[in-house]
Amino acid sequence: MNNIRNFCIIAHIDHGKSTIADRLLEYTGTITAREAKDQILDSMDLERERGITIKSHAIAMEYKAKDGNVYALNLIDTPGHVDFTYEVSRSLAACEGALLIVDASQGVEAQTISNLYLAIDAGLEIIPVLNKIDLPGADPDKIKAQVIDLLGCKDEEIILASAKANIGIEDILEAIVKTVPPPVGDSTLPLQALIFDSVFDPYRGAIAYIRVKNGIIKERDKLKFFAHDKVYEAEEVGVLRLNKIRTGSLKAGEVGYVIGGIKDVHDTKVGDTITINKTGAAHPLPGYKEIKPMVYSGLYPTNTEQYEELRDALDKYRLNDAALVFEPETSAALGFGFRCGFLGMLHMEIVQERLYREFNQAIITTLPNVEYIVYKKSGEKVIVDNPDHMPLPGEIENVEEPYVKAQIVTPSEYVGSIMKLAMDKRGIYKNTVYIDPTRADLSYEFPLAEIIFDFYDKLKSISRGYASFDYEFIGNRESELVKLDLLLNGEPVDALSMIVHRSKAYDWGRKVADKLKDLIPKQLFEINIQAAIGTKVIAKSVVKAMRKNVLAKCYGGDISRKRKLLEKQKEGKKRMKQVGNVEIPQEAFLAVLQIDE
Amino acid sequence: MFFRDHAGIYIHIPFCDHKCIYCDFYSIITSDNIQAYLKALKKEIDYYAEKYQNRNNYVSVFFGGGTPSLMEPKYLGEILDHLHKRFSIKQSAEITMETNPGTVNREKFREFRHAGINRVSVGIQSFDKKELEFLTRIHDAETAKSAVYDAYMAGIENLSLDLIFNLPGQTSEIWLKTLSEAVNLPVKHISAYSLILERGTILNKMVLKGEIDLQGEEIDADLYEKTIGFLGDYGFEQYEVSNFAKPGYECVHNSIYWQAKEYHGFGTSAHSYFDGKRRWNVSSLKFYIDAVNEKGHAIIGEEELTFDERKEEYRYLYLRHTGLNIREYDELFSEDFMTKNEPLVLELINHGLAEYDGVTLQMTGKGYAVCDEIIARIE
Repeated sequence: MNNIRNFCIIAHIDHGKSTIADRLLEYTGTITAREAKDQILDSMDLERERGITIKSHAIAMEYKAKDGNVYALNLIDTPGHVDFTYEVSRSLAACEGALLIVDASQGVEAQTISNLYLAIDAGLEIIPVLNKIDLPGADPDKIKAQVIDLLGCKDEEIILASAKANIGIEDILEAIVKTVPPPVGDSTLPLQALIFDSVFDPYRGAIAYIRVKNGIIKERDKLKFFAHDKVYEAEEVGVLRLNKIRTGSLKAGEVGYVIGGIKDVHDTKVGDTITINKTGAAHPLPGYKEIKPMVYSGLYPTNTEQYEELRDALDKYRLNDAALVFEPETSAALGFGFRCGFLGMLHMEIVQERLYREFNQAIITTLPNVEYIVYKKSGEKVIVDNPDHMPLPGEIENVEEPYVKAQIVTPSEYVGSIMKLAMDKRGIYKNTVYIDPTRADLSYEFPLAEIIFDFYDKLKSISRGYASFDYEFIGNRESELVKLDLLLNGEPVDALSMIVHRSKAYDWGRKVADKLKDLIPKQLFEINIQAAIGTKVIAKSVVKAMRKNVLAKCYGGDISRKRKLLEKQKEGKKRMKQVGNVEIPQEAFLAVLQIDE
Repeated sequence: MFFRDHAGIYIHIPFCDHKCIYCDFYSIITSDNIQAYLKALKKEIDYYAEKYQNRNNYVSVFFGGGTPSLMEPKYLGEILDHLHKRFSIKQSAEITMETNPGTVNREKFREFRHAGINRVSVGIQSFDKKELEFLTRIHDAETAKSAVYDAYMAGIENLSLDLIFNLPGQTSEIWLKTLSEAVNLPVKHISAYSLILERGTILNKMVLKGEIDLQGEEIDADLYEKTIGFLGDYGFEQYEVSNFAKPGYECVHNSIYWQAKEYHGFGTSAHSYFDGKRRWNVSSLKFYIDAVNEKGHAIIGEEELTFDERKEEYRYLYLRHTGLNIREYDELFSEDFMTKNEPLVLELINHGLAEYDGVTLQMTGKGYAVCDEIIARIE
């Protein structure tokens, strides 16, 4: 156990986490440069395209250190996005140390700070690394000062590196061996293994990535999971190199995988503890949380006839993604579909994209919303994850919405505009810490609902891409919220309802009514668009009736052509949703997302 | 309803003096192959006559183009004689020839009449000097008018005019002036087409290059509305999206298309519809002549309509035309039109887009204007 080091890498997007990982793998001979398909750890296409790691993975390296000993270094990769904070915290719990990678020109970012705090909370040893020191824009002295300020470390403890130019890689490996403590644990105690990630393999079932804290896990062990009652037999146990290498057992301190004919990733939940059935440990490892969706949206097939197909696709997809929850719902406007819960907006986009790419499902998503707690005058408490289910205004005593604590790191010249943005988003200012004279760390509290749509895009745009942002859920708070309905020719469109703060209702109503006017094409009849709170109309707009749409000529040779055009037109209409006598194009259901405040 | 179980014949004459910028019909600017073409036409007619003898009484022959009036009258006469030999063409049949002003004088019209032509459709398009120049027509307003008078004086009283509206820069003042020139001529029928941008036309290229801007929906709709009103005031009743006639002078030939009746098309790029199939000929003059000489026909494509396709065509053709007789439609296709479409039909009537007398659902002028949208919503 003295020769094992379990570590992870903390970095902001684009600061070079994946390239550093590749260099470490190459240096230790775990992979050759040719094998390093650029960034080996991001194995999903989607991950590579977006340049982010969505799901964490692990890989083991053998390193012969300058002290002459051979060490087993387990790199446990962490997801890089705020939607996956819980998964990050579980990955950290599997390690004793972390590399903190900071771009030598960009400096410390919000995500760096929030993940660093998670790592410090988890008691990890931190190894600071400045990456990209060879770039012309690099300012190592300035960035070093930021890091020193943040960590309270010494100047000489900071490693200067460039993954691209292969600088500092050996220093990093040596630091891991020297600084990161070997795992503590006792192989003679009953088994306690932490699941820090799980993936689904269509042939083998769920594969749990584990860190054994105490005891030993062997093949043919009967495994008990603390999060549920099912018992599985360990069919295969091993360590992770580029591929899985079967070893038959893992002991305290080691990192690897276990396969047990588990049909569903929901039985290998991240954060759960595995032990031996009946004779195992009495208590799980601390820190397990049931992951709860933060953002909800309706998912509907673009073609109503494809409901069953979509259900099959979601059923298959959820085998792979324990964080996605869904249940059937019906919308008058969109037909049969599903209300889905996501960890955040990125998670939602990924699900949508993967359903399209891997399952060929074209879907309409309704405007995302958070979950509200409604206390009714009758004393009843209702959880509302679909705006259309909001009780009538007269029945409501009060409504609570989720709040988050947010951290924004920005060059100081943008502080003013960011504060204005935060105010628009109902942010509650907490404090400002200057990381260095040019860089501020702003703390805020926000209603989650205000930051899920476009906050991040706006933040990036007003700071020319320099500000970064991270947040975590802190609880529910009472707010003055109202349900805003959209009516087309007097008929409410359920899928366009939204819950907004009273102070914003008029402004939103106006903007949505105007936006819909642009998105709904002219039709045979005039369309009156109204935004209303209860029975009170607060904004109106009109789509005028179409006045001319007819092919002037239809003679002998034109008839077939005309029929084919007509068939196409009808096909297009199928993709529109009919509410009353109004046809609504799919884009309209996300109209609010495109509104600029 | 005008005719029952009657069929038509279309003869394409591809020769033109030049290509107009808005035209997407097959045409060529040479007269070298006229003899060979006429020979091939007769051969193609023979081929079909043998295959489909005595099946129909033909009520119409239509010479379209190209510019059929460029031909020697005796040539059209030969074709007509040949058709009479091979098909049962009614004595009262409508025999139409498309004409371009500037290609015919009074004497030649007289010859065409003797050859058998009893209806002439004159491609005038506009009486506005600038518009005619823009459209690259070879005639001016005076030539256009005299072409109509010449035909009339030659004894052809069933006269029609083609006009185009919504040309770039066209105001309702200019258009109404063209319309009033038209109704003051001795014509019985007017076709008024909103400018269509067809792929492959010179006009399309000009628009793509940004050399000209087309006018939008609002102006188009205004001009169309004014057309219907104006022509109605002068006794030209709208009986199809773009067609207006004095009572009794609706075009027999085009009504065959719009009532989903059978027609035979001969010549380059001609289309036919019979036995539930649509067929079309090759466009190229050379390939056409070669194919007919070799096989007797020059078909390069055909489609057999499914039941649903026939139903769809029937619906929209009648709705564009004189209205859909609901009972006949339901019987023909074992349908229940009103059950399927009642809410829409009620809305159409309430918004003044259609009328229903208990038998026929018919477009109003406002309805014709948005007919494509209406038929796309009908099931």
